[in-house]
Amino acid sequence: MNSSKRIVAQRYASAYDALSKTNEEASQRSALLNEVSAALLTQQQTMESPRLSLQSKKQAVRAALSGAPETARFIELLIDAKRYDLLPEIARRVEDLLDQRLGIIRAQVFAAKQLSEAQKKQTQDVLAKRYGGSVKAEFITDPRLLGGLKIRCCGEEIDGSLQHQLNKLQEELTK
Amino acid sequence: MAIRPEEITNIIKNKIEQFNTTVDVSEVGTVIQVGDGIARVHGLNRVKASELVDFGNGVKGMAMNLEYDNVGCVLMGSDQQVHEGTTVKRTGEVISIPVGKGVIGRVVDPLGNALDGKGPISAEKNMPLDIVAPGIIDRQPVKQPLQTGIKAIDSMVPIGKGQRELIIGDRQTGKTAIALDTIINQKNIPQNERCICIYVAVGQKQSTVAQVVKTLTDFGAMDYTVVVSATASDPASLLYIAPYAGCAIGEFFMWQGKDVLIVYDDLSKHAQAYRQMSLLLRRPPGREAYPGDVFYLHSRLLERACKLSKENGGGSLTALPIIETQANDVSAYIPTNVISITDGQIYLESNLFLSGIKPAVNVGLSVSRVGGSAQRKTMRKVAGTLRIDLSQYQELAGFAQFGSELDKESQRQIERGKRMTELLKQNQYAPLKVGEEVLVLYAGTHGYLDTVQVTDVLAYEQQLLSYARTEGKKVLEEMNQAVELTEDLEKEVVGLLDHFKTVFKAGK
Repeated sequence: MNSSKRIVAQRYASAYDALSKTNEEASQRSALLNEVSAALLTQQQTMESPRLSLQSKKQAVRAALSGAPETARFIELLIDAKRYDLLPEIARRVEDLLDQRLGIIRAQVFAAKQLSEAQKKQTQDVLAKRYGGSVKAEFITDPRLLGGLKIRCCGEEIDGSLQHQLNKLQEELTK
Repeated sequence: MAIRPEEITNIIKNKIEQFNTTVDVSEVGTVIQVGDGIARVHGLNRVKASELVDFGNGVKGMAMNLEYDNVGCVLMGSDQQVHEGTTVKRTGEVISIPVGKGVIGRVVDPLGNALDGKGPISAEKNMPLDIVAPGIIDRQPVKQPLQTGIKAIDSMVPIGKGQRELIIGDRQTGKTAIALDTIINQKNIPQNERCICIYVAVGQKQSTVAQVVKTLTDFGAMDYTVVVSATASDPASLLYIAPYAGCAIGEFFMWQGKDVLIVYDDLSKHAQAYRQMSLLLRRPPGREAYPGDVFYLHSRLLERACKLSKENGGGSLTALPIIETQANDVSAYIPTNVISITDGQIYLESNLFLSGIKPAVNVGLSVSRVGGSAQRKTMRKVAGTLRIDLSQYQELAGFAQFGSELDKESQRQIERGKRMTELLKQNQYAPLKVGEEVLVLYAGTHGYLDTVQVTDVLAYEQQLLSYARTEGKKVLEEMNQAVELTEDLEKEVVGLLDHFKTVFKAGK
C-alpha cells in the first residue's frame, strides 16, 4: 500500500471515529466495523465482481447492516468513492483511534516459552508504569529467542533476549 | 611466529567475561516497502533527517524523507536481506567516517572500510560526513600557490591553496590526467609544503580506479594519498556520500594545519546518483530531471574548500572537481552550476586534444579567479603576457589562413605563438618543478626559441632541462626556492640560456 492510500485511510478512519460521542459508542462502532470488514473479506469475490452494479452491492450492505445505519452508510460511501479496498486498513486504524480514546497502549511481548499468568501480569504492570496507561499486551511465543523477553511498545523495542545478547557477542568477537 | 591456541582461547575467554549483558532499548520501525535501494519505513517517529538507521545484517541506511506516516530511507548496501516487515532501528548518529593518519596510503569506501586488502584502518576519530563549511571569520584569502607541475596551468590558470578549480571537458580529453599529474607533482615539493592528496572516484569503473591506484603507487604518490572509491557497481547512496566522505577526511588534516588537495572525479556522476535517489524517493524532478536542490548538493560540498586563518592553524583544502561534458556543451545544467560555484575552470577541448595539443587546455575559456594573487612572482613575471599573446596568436592564425600578406610584426607574433603552443605541450606523468617551468617559459617568452624550428621546440626543451639539471644545478635550485625573479637571478638565467644556445643540437 502506498503512502497516499495510507493517508486516505487515516482520514476515513478519523471521520468514522468522530461519529461517536462517547467511548462506549466508539468501541461498539469499532467492533462492528471490524466484524463487517472480516465478514466482507469472505465475500471479496462478490463485492469486487464487475458484474454486480454498485447499486446492488450497496443494497446488500444496507440489508445486512439494517441495525446500524451509520456504519452501513459509511461502507456505501466507501463503495461510491471507490475506496472499498481500504476497508481493512480503515478498520485497523479505527481500532488505533479507539485505543487512543481509551488510553490503551498496545504492546507485543515475545518470549521463548509460554509465560505463566503471574509473569504476564507482572510484565503488563511494568509496562504500564513505564509508558503510563493501561497496557494491552499480546503475548507471542518465539523459540528463536532462546530465553529472556523482547517487548515492542510505542515504537520502542526493549530487547533482553538471549538471542540478542549472543548476536551482540558475535559482533564484539568478530570485530 | 608460532600461534599458540591457548593464548587465543584466553583472549576470547576474557572478551566473553568482560562482555556486559545489558538490556537494549531502541526506537524501531518496520519496513513496509523496499526496492531499488530505497526502503519505506513505518514507525521511527522521532528519527531525524539524514540520521543513520540500522536494518540489521550489517546493512545501514540513511533517513532522507520524513513524511506524514513513513520515513524514506536509502540503503547503504545490498537490499537483498531487507524485506517487508524487517525491523529498523534508530542509531541516533549521523553518518560518519573514520579519519586519521592511518587512512593515508589506503583505498577506502565512503563508509571507511578498507578496499585494498591491507587490513583494518586505524583511525584517530570519526568525522561526520556532512558538516557546515567554515565561516568567514575562520578563513583567510587564498595566497599560497599550489603547483600542479603542468606548464600550461601553472603559468596561465594558477591554482592557489584553498581554491576550487573545476576541470571540465568531454570524455577522453585528459581531465583525470591533470588531476593525477597534480597529485604526482606533490612529490617534487618539499615535505613541509606538500599537500596530502585525496582522490575521490565517483561512479567509475573498478578497472579505472585500479589503474589510478597502480599509477599513484608506481610514482610513489600513495605515500601521501588517500583514495575514496565508490564505483559504478556500488549503490547510488554510496556514490552520493563519497565526495562528502573524502572531504571529511581532508578536513581532519586541514584543521591540523596541513594542506590538502582533493579531487572529485567526477561530479556529473555524483549528480546522477543523487538524481536517481531523489526520483526513487519521489521527490519532484526539475530541469533535466535533477531535483531542485542539486545546486545545494554541490555548493555545500565545494564551499568546504577553504584556507583557514592563522588562528585556526592556517591549513587549507583545495578542491579540484571534475565535470564531464557531452559534446563540449558547457551550458548544460550541472556544468553551469559547478562553473558558477567554483573559482575558475580549466576547460579541456577534444579538438585540441585530437590535434595533438596535450594538455588540451583551451586558454581563452580557462580562468582562475583567485589563483592569480597566489601565483609566484617569478612565474608571474615570465608568464604575465602569455595568455594575451596566445589569444592574439590564435586570432592572427585564423587570418593568416586566408593567405593574405602579413606585416612583420604579425608574422613575428605568429611564429612566437606557434613556438609557445609547442612549448606548452607536456607529457603525462612528467610534472615539472617550478624552477624548471620558469626557465622553460622564460626561454619562450624572451625570444630564445625564435631561431629554433617549430619541430625542434620539444627537443630544445628536453635538452635545456637536462642541461640545466646537470650544468645549471645551482641556478635551477635557486629558481625553485626564489619568490621573486631578482636582477641577479635573471642574469644567471640569461647566462645559462646563452650558453645553452651553443650546445643545443637541433634535429635530435
